[in-house]
Amino acid sequence: MAIQFEDVTDSFRRIKISGRLDMPGTEAISLKFTNLAASAARRVVVDLTEVSFLASIGIREFITNAKALQLRGGRMILFVGDNASVAKTLQVTGIDALIPMFADLAQADQAALA
Amino acid sequence: MLMTTDTLRQVGDLSIDADGPGTRLASQWLAKLAADFEVPFAELDRLDICLNEVLANIIRHGTHAVAKPLVHIVFQVERDAGGSLATVTVSDAGPAFDITTAGIHCRPASLTEAEPGGLGLLMIRSFSDELRYHHSDGNNHLSFAVRWNRSDE
Repeated sequence: MAIQFEDVTDSFRRIKISGRLDMPGTEAISLKFTNLAASAARRVVVDLTEVSFLASIGIREFITNAKALQLRGGRMILFVGDNASVAKTLQVTGIDALIPMFADLAQADQAALA
Repeated sequence: MLMTTDTLRQVGDLSIDADGPGTRLASQWLAKLAADFEVPFAELDRLDICLNEVLANIIRHGTHAVAKPLVHIVFQVERDAGGSLATVTVSDAGPAFDITTAGIHCRPASLTEAEPGGLGLLMIRSFSDELRYHHSDGNNHLSFAVRWNRSDE
């Protein structure tokens, strides 16, 4: 499980997560993800294109941190690219209605900065 | 262990500790068997999702009452002219809990209202084609299955 980030601007950050977001995978990145995603009033795009598996515990991290970010005046967007498996899981659980999800990076960036 | 009946072939079983590393081991075991028996990736993914959510539920709710929480998992594949069915059965000695009748949280209208938990049951029911539960000899036995056509292989 890996997590990387890029600060596009002072207020816009892309976070990329790779690997399995199952129980051990999520526990491995949870603290760092929270520090990167929800510690300031930022616009955040979370890149899930290389997430090979998404369990509810991983989704829980998105919800928790998206809510925290929202409270600070920020916004979280999920970028899934052509990761059909992850997109399906987010759609089935209704998370895509709570945290915007895009297959196109430009659209994801645009939604984050809107 | 392999047993053959007229319509059902048991292809493997595994016992794991009910913890995080155990769930990863179970997923790896499932993936290996699925590859050996030509289960399509989409169906493996659905089984893997259900397996992880069932195990997470056991870990979260079912491991406090037993001294050494162990989970037993059986993988079965059944094939006939009409198609194929892969079934995973998970057994544990935790408190009796019937996933097939448990209530599912209503979907929140907004991120503000959303609670982080409660998605596991929804995922199990959404990604499985069949779901069966029974309680016997002090154990929960939950089976979930996925179907596919021969043309999907």
